[in-house]
Amino acid sequence: MKLIAAALAALLPCLAAGPEMDKGKTLGNPRAPVLIEIYSDFLCPACKAFHENTLPLLMKDFVTSGKVCIVSREFPLNITGHQHSREAAGIATAAARIGMYDAVANALFRTQESWEVSGKAWETAAAVLTADQQKKVQALAKDPAVLKEVQDDVAYGTAIGIGQTPTLFLSRGSTRYPVFGSALSYNLLKSMINDLLK
Amino acid sequence: MTFSNRTLRIAAVALRIALGAVFVYAALVKLRLPWQLFAGAIADYKILPDWAVNPLARTLPWAELAIGLLIAAGWWLRTAATAASLLLAMFVALMVRAYAKGMEISCGCFGPGELISWRTLLRDGTLLAASLAVTWTAFARSKKGTDSISRARKWGLSPFCK
Repeated sequence: MKLIAAALAALLPCLAAGPEMDKGKTLGNPRAPVLIEIYSDFLCPACKAFHENTLPLLMKDFVTSGKVCIVSREFPLNITGHQHSREAAGIATAAARIGMYDAVANALFRTQESWEVSGKAWETAAAVLTADQQKKVQALAKDPAVLKEVQDDVAYGTAIGIGQTPTLFLSRGSTRYPVFGSALSYNLLKSMINDLLK
Repeated sequence: MTFSNRTLRIAAVALRIALGAVFVYAALVKLRLPWQLFAGAIADYKILPDWAVNPLARTLPWAELAIGLLIAAGWWLRTAATAASLLLAMFVALMVRAYAKGMEISCGCFGPGELISWRTLLRDGTLLAASLAVTWTAFARSKKGTDSISRARKWGLSPFCK
């Protein structure tokens, strides 16, 4: 089934439009020619590596110059050891509503190993928020619209056969390519983006 | 195995066409996508040096396409089927190695996103068996003669107008 979904996504890239873009989770100009959607899980080590190593390079080479826009999507994996992933996704999505997604995402990835064990995802996020922001994010994390946004990302990712994180979608116009897992080295990813920009 | 049985002959042709179609499909899926995705899959096996990955990613799908078309059409069958068997044997060996090492990587067989598992091993193993069978029949057939007269006689037809 996964193979069929992956093959369909590969053969019919135009059909696979993702969920609506959350402006709070967007980096760069939304009108940039190339869009990269990143489906990740805050408890996935490969996502942490991507967030901390590859994302800054993408920012420097493509986002600041307005060539690429990056959107973060939530894909909390439903596997052993990732019990707190969905809660973290909800907190980060709530933080996005008040413009604090990056700060919360950075904190969650940076201290991944500690809250993976302790389950203190909220405390990790709260550490980078003011008291007023904490109240807002706590309330928003229970908002049905926020929960739906996370669920929509998960449902879409599942429907198109995402089985590993991070999974990227690179789009230009109606052309959309999936990059499953962290398979692509930065040089290959850069080359692929440059080809898309031509 | 002899080719006196018409059913067996038809099965052999069907197997040959199916194998060719699988190669063509695998090639088209890769060619439809940016070559960097296939390069990433090849690099993940950690077998080839970096300088060899990109040229291979750019050329292998074309080789698969050519092999698939030749096999399906029955042209240069011994060469194409031998090439297919060697390729598949190499793919299966690499996949078994990666699976045994516990590497959670995409097999790269039919585009991105399909992790190596016992299912992919079983599928590619079956393809290898099919390819070996096609190769074997190609050589067996050529021993018996591949010219149109021999083929017509095998099918119980006279190649000449009476």
